[in-house]
Amino acid sequence: MSNSLSGPSNFADDGSAVIGRHLDVHHFKLASESQDKIKSCTDIYEIDRTVSAIKERGYKRIALQFPDDLLQDSGLVAQLIRDQTGSAVFILADTSYGSCCVDEVAAQHISADAIIHYGRSCQSPTSRLPVIYVFGKQPVDVQDCAATFDGFFGKDKAQKAVLMYDVIYSHCIDQLLATLQSEMHYTNIVKSRVETESNLGYVLSDSKTNGALNSGCCQKKESCCSTSSSTEAATGCCSSEAAKSDYDQCTNSSGCRTATSTSSTQQLVVEDDNSEHTKKRRRFGRTYDLPVGDQIEDYTLFYVGDESPTLSNIMMTHSKCDVYSYNPETKKGRLESAQVNRALMRRYFLVQKAKDADVIGIAVGTLGVASYMTMIKHLKALIESKGKKAYTFVMGKLNVAKMANFMEIDCFVYVACPENSLIDSKEFYRPIVTPFELEIALSKSREWNGDYVTDFQQLLPDEDKIGVDKIKISQTQLDAASDDEDYSDKDSDEDDRPHFSLVTGQFKQSKRYTTNSEDTKELSALIQGTTDLTVRNKNTSVATLMSSAAGEYLQSREFRGLEVALGESPVELATEGRAGIARGYRTEDGYGEREKEKY
Amino acid sequence: MVNFTIDQIRALMDKVTNVRNMSVIAHVDHGKSTLTDSLVSKAGIISAGRAGDARFMDTRQDEQDRGITIKSTAISLYFEMTEGDLPDIKQKSDGAAFLINLIDSPGHVDFSSEVTAALRVTDGALVVVDCVDGVCVQTETVLRQALGERIKPVVVINKVDRALLELQVTKEDLYTSFLRTIESVNVIIATYNDKVLGDVMVYPEQGTVAFASGLHGWAFTIRQFANRYAKKFGVDRSKMMDKLWGENYFNPATRKWTTKGQDANGKPLERAFNMFILDPIFKLFDSIMNFKKDAAFAMLEKLEITLKNDEKEMEGKMLLKTVMKKFLPAGEALLEMIVIHLPSPVTAQKYRVENLYEGPMDDDCAEGIRGCDPNGPLMLYVSKMVPTSDKGRFYAFGRVFSGTVRAGLKVRIQGPNYVPGSKTDLFVKSVQRIVLMMGRSVEPIEDCPAGNIVGLVGIDQFLLKSGTITTSETAHNLKVMKFSVSPVVQVAVECKQASDLPKLVEGLKRLSKSDPCVLCYTSETGEHIVAGSGELHLEICLKDLEEDHAQVPIRKSDPVVQYKETIQAESSVTALAKSPNKHNRIFMKAAPLGEELSLAIENGKVGPRDEFKARARVLSDEYEWDNQEARKIWAFGPDANGANVMVDLTKGVAYLNEIKDSCVAAFQWATREGVFAEENMRGCRFNILDVVLHADAIHRGGGQIIPACRSAIYAAAYVAQPGLMEPVYLVEITCPEQAMGGIYGVLNKRRGHTIGEEQRPGTPMYIVKAHLPVAESFGFTADLRQATGGQAFPQSVFDHWQLMNGVSNEDPKLIEKVLSIRKRKGLKEEIPPLDRFLDRL
Repeated sequence: MSNSLSGPSNFADDGSAVIGRHLDVHHFKLASESQDKIKSCTDIYEIDRTVSAIKERGYKRIALQFPDDLLQDSGLVAQLIRDQTGSAVFILADTSYGSCCVDEVAAQHISADAIIHYGRSCQSPTSRLPVIYVFGKQPVDVQDCAATFDGFFGKDKAQKAVLMYDVIYSHCIDQLLATLQSEMHYTNIVKSRVETESNLGYVLSDSKTNGALNSGCCQKKESCCSTSSSTEAATGCCSSEAAKSDYDQCTNSSGCRTATSTSSTQQLVVEDDNSEHTKKRRRFGRTYDLPVGDQIEDYTLFYVGDESPTLSNIMMTHSKCDVYSYNPETKKGRLESAQVNRALMRRYFLVQKAKDADVIGIAVGTLGVASYMTMIKHLKALIESKGKKAYTFVMGKLNVAKMANFMEIDCFVYVACPENSLIDSKEFYRPIVTPFELEIALSKSREWNGDYVTDFQQLLPDEDKIGVDKIKISQTQLDAASDDEDYSDKDSDEDDRPHFSLVTGQFKQSKRYTTNSEDTKELSALIQGTTDLTVRNKNTSVATLMSSAAGEYLQSREFRGLEVALGESPVELATEGRAGIARGYRTEDGYGEREKEKY
Repeated sequence: MVNFTIDQIRALMDKVTNVRNMSVIAHVDHGKSTLTDSLVSKAGIISAGRAGDARFMDTRQDEQDRGITIKSTAISLYFEMTEGDLPDIKQKSDGAAFLINLIDSPGHVDFSSEVTAALRVTDGALVVVDCVDGVCVQTETVLRQALGERIKPVVVINKVDRALLELQVTKEDLYTSFLRTIESVNVIIATYNDKVLGDVMVYPEQGTVAFASGLHGWAFTIRQFANRYAKKFGVDRSKMMDKLWGENYFNPATRKWTTKGQDANGKPLERAFNMFILDPIFKLFDSIMNFKKDAAFAMLEKLEITLKNDEKEMEGKMLLKTVMKKFLPAGEALLEMIVIHLPSPVTAQKYRVENLYEGPMDDDCAEGIRGCDPNGPLMLYVSKMVPTSDKGRFYAFGRVFSGTVRAGLKVRIQGPNYVPGSKTDLFVKSVQRIVLMMGRSVEPIEDCPAGNIVGLVGIDQFLLKSGTITTSETAHNLKVMKFSVSPVVQVAVECKQASDLPKLVEGLKRLSKSDPCVLCYTSETGEHIVAGSGELHLEICLKDLEEDHAQVPIRKSDPVVQYKETIQAESSVTALAKSPNKHNRIFMKAAPLGEELSLAIENGKVGPRDEFKARARVLSDEYEWDNQEARKIWAFGPDANGANVMVDLTKGVAYLNEIKDSCVAAFQWATREGVFAEENMRGCRFNILDVVLHADAIHRGGGQIIPACRSAIYAAAYVAQPGLMEPVYLVEITCPEQAMGGIYGVLNKRRGHTIGEEQRPGTPMYIVKAHLPVAESFGFTADLRQATGGQAFPQSVFDHWQLMNGVSNEDPKLIEKVLSIRKRKGLKEEIPPLDRFLDRL
């Protein structure tokens, strides 16, 4: 490749920043002895389970996706798996978006049959490939954790609580539950579950019959239920419940129970006997069953794990519950929910900013989460229905510098997995909101009422659900989004009335960048027959910019490209200028040496 | 009985020369609304008996309950002059019927934005001064505002009855007190006078000063007495008027006029004013209040006042009131003064046009305004919104300066941010209806020609508080009003039930509409903030919000004040910041702008809209800037008009133009959120000394420059002795001497410091002036009342930004302050370290 490219690499950066990047590695202290290493590795990375799953399904090409902080062990794990299965094993690293998401695109580059995802996971459903999650086991002092729990709730043994946890501690949660129930006699504790390999069994069998590579809807099954009939009900429940705040839809959880009970790390769940009387809630991959008649508001959440996006996600979406946390590393517990209202109000402010935005950038933050395309299409339609301008950006991980390059964008909306969605955009030039927030800002059918949704799947209308990757915007949804559209056409007063901006305390007039065909026709009719570069208005002073956002921004800029200065600059013969690229021009010192090094 | 019809009024509107638009302005409790009653009763809208008690113009329940005016209220009155008086009107007029559009305004400082809104649509002002209290701080403020808007004042010295009944002063003392008051008014007028207005000082002998008792419903000008005596003495009225004021004495023995206070024998003579004007009044008071009814009735006969039988039965104050009302009816005296001395719109708009219109002085619109031309292009300024009985809808209250507005007319509604030629802040809509504002009610009319005050229906949705309405496509805006108060006190409100949020938001919108000054917005922390000019203002606003606008129960936080971040010295080192890709460098230094220039920018004397060469000249002439540097101001900020500037001092940097937009964006951002407390910056000048840019455009885009420039600004401010500024009130406290101790106690406790104290001449009252930090002012009034047994009355008005002692990141007290602000805003509770912003080479 390098031969065909004349000149140094295309990056201005020499890459030292990446190499020198400091990462916090605080997991997986493998023993130094090589023998122990293999042993602990097998244990932590659940090699046996993985291998048996692979063998069972006969996967030939397997992608191992590692987060940066576990990359050091990747070689060993790959070697172990390859030795034991004989399949081709590839290591995927430096995931484009968050390493919590499954990187399907990278896996497809190597035409993998399956992905094994290591480390912390956001549990977002994927759309294309079967995935085996290996969280890695982290030690928890169960007794200490239970004691902390007792310290919080000791007064009331009937305290209703839901156990939540970071996925890396999932292996010992049943132990904790048992301790709490048998030794400490708590009676109303509900455990949440995360999808593990047990679900995969069904996925894999399904995907096999459906054709493993292109099982568009396999993840639908994975989401929790075993039979296809119950799948519909369960997924319907998962996605619409937050939107409708209706928890009573899905009572068909017995199928799931069977699924989860096959798990090697999970024991039989206590509430199994009354499973007909429980209802299920699922949020970003976590499922829990509440006894019928109970609302989640009645419960207190107890979270095992340190501060992480997962925790803040749980807090945001359960803002009406008290959340306590226990950090297994520091062995400290605390009440977290004091912060959550502030965090929510901060998001509320962002909603107000989004309301004022005229030009909105849709930043794509995932290529793995199912139906992200549908979401993007949906957002675009929503934005355009309000007469605003939408641009779509695919820019990998977000950073301040990248985002500030687009000064004409008033607000970004970030389509990503729930854990990566909540961006603290304080340092960013423009606010970054979640699809949920944009919906509140633009659509009259939703209002800010304290409920918060980070999972954009819950925003999509029913027929656009997980796994159904059809690109169609539900008419009802659109109608809801712009419910005043119909009669506003008749009464234009209603339409272009300014709204009261809560950011500035002034009236804000919404610009309308029309994209309707009439305008385009008008423009093309105007352009036809002229050979001018731009269309001028009557006074021949300002170019007519057919209500275009970019044109308007250019007008407001002071620098609009090189000045012509006709006749002001003397005519000179062309001289040879610099060649090469910005990192080092050929005329600069050291160019030759650098070039030599390359060969 | 209403003695006029709407048709009559409508007919008069066309005779613009016979229209007077005037506002009643004064210090709080000087009796504006009470006095206005007399005028309203003259027009027959309220009965003469109720005048003085009704406070007809206080239309809201809480205004009536509290006894203070909160909103300004307009009313149109019909007045017919006697034929004989018409020649006294020095400007053009047509017939004896006059239309007076009167606006009663609040006196409390917290509501002075209402006064500003009232002044904008009127041409003259009736300045009411309490004859006991004299000229107070708010008198001065409103008078200054009036003169700034080129509004001609006339003065009423009110509550003369108080001087007679309570203080029992002698005639000469009363005269001196009048004289003193008039002098102090004239001092203010002389200070703030606009040459274009001509001599607008007030002189009793010219009839521009009236003496009145609003409560009793009587008033007089020297002109009226001159009328009586002119016949008697057989002299010309105007000569008589001269004689009745000042150093003019009448020697009854010789029946000669003299200017000396003694006769030939050295015996003191009585001043003509005392003798001819005060004497009958004193005598009437004396005889009636001391129950010498016979003497009184004898006098009445002489004065040709006839009483009805039941009135004769009355005693004491009641009788006095009735008699005085008949003797010197207030309505007549004041309306006469208004008609004769205040300018008609035709007269006034000639010289007001320059102050009103932003566009060129020779375009159609300017010509229309100058000529007050009903056939010119429509130019109407909406100065405030008046709630209608229909919840959430408002009348747009304003003045037609040119053209004629009629129902159904399609107009251009230009908001305050409208730029000619663009579409921003512009709506084209039809006016649905037009109404005449009549105090508590409205009267529909068909159309309204230039020079009149009207209410418009159907455009309230497109204007928040004020704006320009026009029919001309090329019209510029009428100038945006400049308020003398700013919303420095704020509280956070939230609804008690989360589900009420939409109602709260709607309520906030309505609240911002209904008050010219209040500011409602969301803070970065997501709280709903209501900001007002003072505690009382906020109290009223919140009450309105809860009861009228939102109608949901709300919770409010403790009031907080905004601070400003500033710098106190030049940056000790040159701040360097590199872009994220390390390929661009910005070198910057900060320097204080100076208080004078900061003020000039805040008052709009120097601003981003000025032509840059003219601005550079002003800066170099008046603020000691280098002319070359002054031409290179890139931006003002925050919000493109704040009191911080960024100056380009680079030399020969290639591509510099390209990064200008990015730098300006960064500058706006950084000045909006200062480095320590994320409060607005103020009074900082940022000099870009040098810039190193990457040769490739892609590597010096906004993404690289904005963070770099922002860091550079922060770093430059960080090393320039950063400080905090807090808002400070000017407090004026009126109190008797024995209460002074209590006042100082309270002031000391609250970091206030006294800047002056003086006795009001002729009274036992003292006036203490002090500076009091706004942050310490919460509960100040209550505290003061307590400490002085309710004898002290404070008036606080925002005065200036005061630099707090110390350096933001060194002084422990300031650090504490900064951290507490950061905590409130939900930021990390630490002073950000310098190396976060400052890069090394």
